[in-house]
Amino acid sequence: MINKLKLDKILMKVEKPARYIGMEKNSYKKDLNKVSVKIAFSFPDVYEVGMSHLGLQIIYNLINNEENYACERVFAPWVDMEEEMRKEGLPLYTLESKEEVKNFDLLAFTLQYEMSYTNILNILNLSHIPFKSKDRDDKYPILIAGGPCAYNPEPLAEIFDLFVIGEGEEIILELLKLYEEVKKGSLSKESFLLEATKISGVYVPKFYDVSYNEDGTIKEMYRLIDSVPNTVIKRYIKDLNSMYTPDKLLVPYIDTVHDRIALELFRGCTRGCRFCQAGIIYRPIREKSIDNLMEIVEMLINNTGYDTVSLMSLSSCDYSQLLLLTKELMEKYEDRNIALSLPSLRLDSFSIEVLKEIEKVKKSGLTFAPEAGSQRLRDVINKGVTEDDIVNAVTYAFKEGWSRVKLYFMIGLPTETDEDVMGIKDIAYLVKDIFFNRPNEEIKGNFKVTASASCFVPKPFTPFQWYGQDTINEFMRKISMVRNSIKDRKVVFNYHDADLSYIEAIFARGDRRLSELLIKAWEKGCKFDGWSEFFKYDLWLEALEESHVDGEFYANRYRELDEVFPWDFIDSGVSKEFLIREYKKAIHGKTTDDCRNGCRACGITNCSMRGVYN
Amino acid sequence: MIIRARFTKRNYLKYLSHLDLIRLFQRSFTAIKLPIKYSQGFNPHPKFSIAAPLSLGIESECEYMDIEITEYVKVDDFLESINKVLPDDIQITNALCLEKETSISAILTWAFYEIKFELNSKEEPKSLSSRIDEWLGSSEIILTRLKKKGKKKVATDINILPLIGNVIVKGCDENNYIVINTLLKTGQNGNIKPVQLMEAMSRDLDLNLDLDSLLIKRLALYAEEGKNIYSPL
Ligand code: SF4
Repeated sequence: MINKLKLDKILMKVEKPARYIGMEKNSYKKDLNKVSVKIAFSFPDVYEVGMSHLGLQIIYNLINNEENYACERVFAPWVDMEEEMRKEGLPLYTLESKEEVKNFDLLAFTLQYEMSYTNILNILNLSHIPFKSKDRDDKYPILIAGGPCAYNPEPLAEIFDLFVIGEGEEIILELLKLYEEVKKGSLSKESFLLEATKISGVYVPKFYDVSYNEDGTIKEMYRLIDSVPNTVIKRYIKDLNSMYTPDKLLVPYIDTVHDRIALELFRGCTRGCRFCQAGIIYRPIREKSIDNLMEIVEMLINNTGYDTVSLMSLSSCDYSQLLLLTKELMEKYEDRNIALSLPSLRLDSFSIEVLKEIEKVKKSGLTFAPEAGSQRLRDVINKGVTEDDIVNAVTYAFKEGWSRVKLYFMIGLPTETDEDVMGIKDIAYLVKDIFFNRPNEEIKGNFKVTASASCFVPKPFTPFQWYGQDTINEFMRKISMVRNSIKDRKVVFNYHDADLSYIEAIFARGDRRLSELLIKAWEKGCKFDGWSEFFKYDLWLEALEESHVDGEFYANRYRELDEVFPWDFIDSGVSKEFLIREYKKAIHGKTTDDCRNGCRACGITNCSMRGVYN
Repeated sequence: MIIRARFTKRNYLKYLSHLDLIRLFQRSFTAIKLPIKYSQGFNPHPKFSIAAPLSLGIESECEYMDIEITEYVKVDDFLESINKVLPDDIQITNALCLEKETSISAILTWAFYEIKFELNSKEEPKSLSSRIDEWLGSSEIILTRLKKKGKKKVATDINILPLIGNVIVKGCDENNYIVINTLLKTGQNGNIKPVQLMEAMSRDLDLNLDLDSLLIKRLALYAEEGKNIYSPL
């Protein structure tokens, strides 16, 4: 255990000390000497962000539900805390037992976004754990990673010992069980890693190597040991109704990003937006039943005391019985002052109906995501939203008393022309006109429309994985074009950092040669890169130069369709042929309908969807 | 009708801010379905108030709050259910169901603290004790406080002596920290925080204290009638 007097002294000096104390409702406090395996679980960002992540809550409860295992949390200390810890020589500790991270058997990270990678290094450093797998002997914890970014694990291949591909809750207990053998002394750590590769969905990078072509592309990825699999197949839960679902959630004391119950309705998505990685890797769609959900909600409300239930999923409105569910929830909880919220709204008439239902209790801000400014480009990205949908949705919203609307767009999408980009302005102005072109007596409230544009980052396992990202200059040119065209104080245009998206794009489709770059960047002081106030592009540029990495090769280069990708050894369930087909259709502006209306043969075998909807 | 409740705030939960604490109680009341009164309006919230909020980092054995309720509640049942949902270090130790009363924040006037601190010098508790007594015998003790006036902060000098009830040196604890007890004014009619007392003491008695390392615990809160002080529950 760490020195508690030191800790107290530090906590008096930092902002929001409750980030670092644990002891929340529904947290576990096990005697670490009495369990057979102890694992530290980290979301490599600040406490409030990590605690809003549903996956963490599931894994945490799943493991601790087993008497013999202990799972404790660790987050990235905020910069003030880091400074004090380094000054006092206090190592990073887990929130539950205040035990040094270094003393755990395993240390697992969830990889939710590439720009958290420097935080992983910072956490390791504060825990006095060497970065590279090869520099860690048996006295250090085994480093594991999972989550969506693990679908391209290669940029972190030299750091982590083991990756979990797919839904972690499906694999983690099997891994811990195997690790028990290490503790019993019947396996060495080395042979643990080898044995682990027999568990489907596990990838151990050190058993593979990569050769390259002269132009820098990958020639081949090959095994160093015959017994490890050539292809790592993602794991996923087949039946969400019988999966382990926690009946309680950790309830933070401090305000977090989502101070509410996150109710997961289903996994997967059938819309087939072509920029969206989640829409592919979480296939097939799997729903929870209403009965199941109602039961979970009741337990969660009583065990947490939260007064808001947020219906979470990739596109919540696609839940097949959404209207029925919201009605039942409203009826049951209206007099207990429990509010419902739906974070990801679509722009169709059905959503409006649901909105009407919910809105009886609480009105939250309205956000829509047309993603692209023109119909042509929305067809390219297969975002099935028309201008009529937008008009109908905002017309309804204004009639119901809303006066503020947020619109989300992306810039730098494949085939994008200046005309498409200017469509962002057109839609924002259209929304404004709809608001004011009403009888005077109906116009109420302080109108504002905010159009936010992010810079498109092509991701692995999407139909756009071959596409070269716009250069920073091109992004900036397009952004200023829109910005300069907006001359109305009621129309606000926000845009994301193009520099940041460039670095993100490098890692998203990066390979094992990027470890040095990452370590260099950390050495120069990069951390919390996802927070624009901490993102230091100049340091990243220096790191790129010094590690001899050509950023454009990774971010801006167009790939040939037959290029070998660093992530090709992973089977996401969706075939490459399907992605190629979709890429070609995209270039020709052809859409692909939702696969609820007919299977598109994406490659998923035994797809549960086909039986349900077709 | 109100429930007047006394509660603790111990251990690391001393790092919860006042707002965090309010949210914690709010969720706990929801969880036990307490018939709490809600405010009217667009964003209804449950009506309860915590008296004399603690600064971050101070433990307490004795905090008070008033909870407005819509119907009579059996206190024993309330205590049993609420303490099950509250964390171990924040527990309601006593409660009463009352008809409308003067609010708890309006009647509290004195707070009693235990303060532990490390002395750099090897001074004995006895000698410190007599130096403190002498100090409290001065005609005034001036402390400069920064007060917000609009956007600016203005420094004002005040005499804190009338705000100090007593200071008693209890001795040393197992870590060799000096332990003192002190009674200090709280509430609208003058109040002083324990850190401010220690700041003045450290300055005037050359103690050279690290004010971030003080271990402070509130032991009691009192109301006052005439010359008597009493516990409100
Ligand atoms: S197999 Fe067919 S129905 Fe299933 S996700 Fe793929 S396209 Fe959709």
